Amino acid sequence: MPPFRISAFGQPFRRFASTGAGSVGRQGGASAGGGGGGGREARDTIFLHRPLRLIIFTTKYLAFTHLFLEYGFWPSPASGPSMLPTFEVMGEWVLVSKWHRLGRGVSVGDVVAYNIPINDEVGVKRVIGLPGDYVLVNSPESASDAMIQVPQGHCWVIGDNLPASRDSRLFGPVPLALIRGKIIARAKPNWDFQWVRNPLRSPDQPSDA
Amino acid sequence: MATWGGAGRRLRFFGQFTHYLIGYATWLPPLIWFNTSVAQITFISGPSMYPFLNAEYHESRRQDLCLVYKLYARKDLVRGMLVTFRNPDDPYKITVKRVVGLEGDVVRTRAPYPYEYVQVPEGHVWVEGDGDRSKDSNYYGPISARLITGKITHILSPWKRAGRVKWWEHPERPGVQKARA
Repeated sequence: MPPFRISAFGQPFRRFASTGAGSVGRQGGASAGGGGGGGREARDTIFLHRPLRLIIFTTKYLAFTHLFLEYGFWPSPASGPSMLPTFEVMGEWVLVSKWHRLGRGVSVGDVVAYNIPINDEVGVKRVIGLPGDYVLVNSPESASDAMIQVPQGHCWVIGDNLPASRDSRLFGPVPLALIRGKIIARAKPNWDFQWVRNPLRSPDQPSDA
Repeated sequence: MATWGGAGRRLRFFGQFTHYLIGYATWLPPLIWFNTSVAQITFISGPSMYPFLNAEYHESRRQDLCLVYKLYARKDLVRGMLVTFRNPDDPYKITVKRVVGLEGDVVRTRAPYPYEYVQVPEGHVWVEGDGDRSKDSNYYGPISARLITGKITHILSPWKRAGRVKWWEHPERPGVQKARA
């Protein structure tokens, strides 16, 4: 006599058979069809009668969700005038691809989400310089036309709306380690889903316009 | 059921094997979360914190094993703490150094930094290694506090130096004008 009952699929429900005296009665007069039914019955009450199982399941579920948001895709609201006209001031939702975190696969022209070096917020800006590139330190219309070479391991970010953007012109090059991910899609305020693409093209490619 | 025989036993084994495999695999997300957000143990490589860490660097190839405490890593930073942070030169490297200056402090720099005095900007810290050969803030300048990922709280191996990392017993580094106590 096997210590566990076989369901219609040939897979033993040994877990459920060990719940105690309650299931022994079910184990008694069973058929293959009844096995599936008996298992289903045990599964319905399994969380209510065993709170530890519920806690463990919830912990695993939350941890999996955290991993997905941290290393997969992270949808998030975004607001602010610094990326007009690419993103609206209010009511925008963006999808951040976490595969591009720490600057992996990020190229000039990409919009990235990054940890702002001087405070605790997350910024959304466009990368215009990677390590080794020469970038203008101030705005093009300012008095100074000084340029700087982006140091190793850093990037230079600016917003699309230069007058209303606090970016690398204020706090300098951003370490690539602070990049949370690349913005790959946006849902405009009326939930119109749209891919965010890198606008840069090489001279021989047709332009987007 | 009596006629299943060998095929039934193999199917049962496979079913049970997959069942347990998936059961154990579902523990990976909570463990990964614990490792990245709560605490982690790691080997220390290099002589940049000699002799506080890797005190046997010149005698053997043995590396110290340390506990990195990651909860609230950027909160309550004190001058003299040992912190782990993502290297500003290479985002895939985690570096261990001592916090020497907090934001607002004026630090008298050492070679090869190009300026003699530097005021640590807002949101940044000045880190230095204890050893001679150390690529620290004197090389790449003040680092953003948001790069900090954890604090070294305990040494686990070798046994004779195991225990709480008493960073506060290390002598203060001269040449730091504190912005606040």
